[in-house]
Amino acid sequence: MATVLYLDELSKKYGSLQAVHQLTLQVEAGSIYGLLGPNGSGKTTTLGMVLDVIRPSSGSFLWFGRSMSKETKLRVGALLETPNFYPYLTAKANLQVVADTKQADHGHINKMLDMVGLGTRSHTTFKGFSLGMKQRLAVAAAMLNDPEVLVLDEPTNGLDPQGIAEVRDLITRIAAQGKTILLASHLLDEVEKVCTHVAVLQAGKLKANGPVGDILSTQDQLLISAEELAPVLQLLERLPYVVQFSQDKNSINLSLSEGYTSTDLNRDMFAQGIVLSQLLVRRKSLEAQFLEITQK
Amino acid sequence: MNLIRTELRKILQYPTFWVIMATYVLLQVLLIYFSSSFMVSGQSLGKSLYDFPNLWMRFSYIAYFFNLLLGILIIVLITDEYSFRTLRQQVIDGRTRTEAVLAKFYVTLGLAGVGTVFLLVMGLLFGFLYSSDTSIKAIFGKIDYLSYFFVQAVGYMCLALFFAFLIRKSGLAIIAFLAWSKIVEPIIHYQLDDRIDRFMPMKVFGSLTPTPGQEIIDGLTSPMMVLSPAWAVLPALFYIAVLVLASIVLVRLRDL
Repeated sequence: MATVLYLDELSKKYGSLQAVHQLTLQVEAGSIYGLLGPNGSGKTTTLGMVLDVIRPSSGSFLWFGRSMSKETKLRVGALLETPNFYPYLTAKANLQVVADTKQADHGHINKMLDMVGLGTRSHTTFKGFSLGMKQRLAVAAAMLNDPEVLVLDEPTNGLDPQGIAEVRDLITRIAAQGKTILLASHLLDEVEKVCTHVAVLQAGKLKANGPVGDILSTQDQLLISAEELAPVLQLLERLPYVVQFSQDKNSINLSLSEGYTSTDLNRDMFAQGIVLSQLLVRRKSLEAQFLEITQK
Repeated sequence: MNLIRTELRKILQYPTFWVIMATYVLLQVLLIYFSSSFMVSGQSLGKSLYDFPNLWMRFSYIAYFFNLLLGILIIVLITDEYSFRTLRQQVIDGRTRTEAVLAKFYVTLGLAGVGTVFLLVMGLLFGFLYSSDTSIKAIFGKIDYLSYFFVQAVGYMCLALFFAFLIRKSGLAIIAFLAWSKIVEPIIHYQLDDRIDRFMPMKVFGSLTPTPGQEIIDGLTSPMMVLSPAWAVLPALFYIAVLVLASIVLVRLRDL
């Protein structure tokens, strides 16, 4: 697969603050790449650098295997931090300004407004829009010249549940068209729901990256106990689908490999004449996983 | 062309732009109209003020004061792009930083053009109404002062453009623009020899529209050394180029 964006030890320093530290990443075509990290972890700075508005202190990046130029910019649609428009212009007039810059067909404007559900509000000025509408207008602007790549920075930030659902639905629909999406977010749940790949950032450093399934495991944790723990431990040694287990006073913590559930474990225990006195399934919280990753 | 069309889209629908332009036109009409009743040593200037061809020199001198208003308009238009973060968005969307500055430079050319045409219309109007001599020769006699005014307006606005890109906040940029043009540079003029300070930017821009009747004043006091309008054009163009280039370098070097 073609590499859309390649970052090579990209760094940004603000005085003594190292906002981004030697970040090396690769975004493949067709993926939905999540940049995950708490506020202030360097997500926006990273996106700002690859979008040509923040000058890197060191390191480099390539779009489509080339250095940044007008031509590469026209292949990328981006929304950085906030929706940026002229408050006194209508939605349509704002998109006309964007269409000029992106050399986009002005005929696409109405189509895009319809796509983001603002077709009937095209003559409302930008300042009269709700935050959700502003955010959707920004997505429409980013999509105006049908770019191959969409860069979205916290697209659901500050939105109410309805707005969040609308924007996520929009992202999923755009991804279905085969576009590559680079999405920065501090919401684990959002990245897990939307992305195919993820890079976890903390304090400007890359903590982990790879396919979402590998990084954010959805493995369940089991907690079991029985009258006699010794035979249980013996059996656990022999069961192939038990990934790991550990004894905890009167109970045992364990996790199973994918595709197996507590039912399998219970059946095998019973078949060996072991009756469990307690069997508890605990979903590992994403927040706990995130802390695990960032504390590594 | 594309840059100019985009700038027009932004400006023509901006209420603030129309308010400032209306102020510009209204105040200037008032000043031109009432200046004939100004008293100089007990006598009103009278309708001779509107005589061709010296009218062009007098009118461009009046318009000189309103360049400050055009400069403030340019500062508002540029700092808006920072506060709306639209400059940043346009660079993300595919404009180069150089184009972003050039687009605003084209706006200054356009505004200076509008100001010059306005002055031409006012001159013809008042001239035909009140001038004692309306021969072709008289009308076009000193019309070259309009072109000096054009260069001057561009110069003032380019100074404003530079402060706007340097400071990025409207209030502070306007203060810096006014302070430099009306206080700081004049103070420097006092410290320097006339032979040197006549080449300083505000003095050069000022020399493009000389004070009417300066000859008389010079006869009474020791004459001021200033460049003639025609000689001031070259250094004025030099300062315009320096201010625009400095703005481009500034925008290219900084984060948006």
